[in-house]
Amino acid sequence: MSEKELGKKWDRCLADGVTKLGTGLGLGIVFSVLFFKRRTWPIMLFSGAGLGMAYSNCQNDLRSQYLLHRKKKEQ
Amino acid sequence: MAARIWPLVKLATKVTIAGGAVYVAFDSGLLGSSEQGSEALEKAKAAVPPALEEWMKYFGLEAQRPTIPRIEFSPVNSWNAGVRWTISSLSDAPTRVSEYTSQGLEYIKDLVK
Repeated sequence: MSEKELGKKWDRCLADGVTKLGTGLGLGIVFSVLFFKRRTWPIMLFSGAGLGMAYSNCQNDLRSQYLLHRKKKEQ
Repeated sequence: MAARIWPLVKLATKVTIAGGAVYVAFDSGLLGSSEQGSEALEKAKAAVPPALEEWMKYFGLEAQRPTIPRIEFSPVNSWNAGVRWTISSLSDAPTRVSEYTSQGLEYIKDLVK
């Protein structure tokens, strides 16, 4: 993996993290207001879940270079 | 009769709103892979200026949208320049310290003479 590609992957990771954190926050606020009487814990739960999804995506993205992918195997 | 149905209606409305929010988030690729997320961000960035203009027209603010000034400042370049400066100073430091020390000693010797 060239440095440029690695840099792009990290950029994508960060952008994805921010997006998913924001989405989690938004959904957490919606659920907190609608179902949980404006308590804080749904907001924290959903934001944490969003961050976790971003972390998992980033991990897969960075590891993908070292894995044998199915298409190549079928060749 | 209505008193019994009303809580159900409220619940149904809340579930619809929450479900709709989750569906919109899922459909726009916000909960997918990082590529889908960056695509969604690009779409959002492209959609913001026209939406902003429409809102300003709606509120009657026909004034020119303040253009964000292009700042010719790259934090990456500044950071890299800072790192380079630090490392080169650190590598020069022993030489410079010994020079200044010897100069200082010379000065004191001259004073003492």
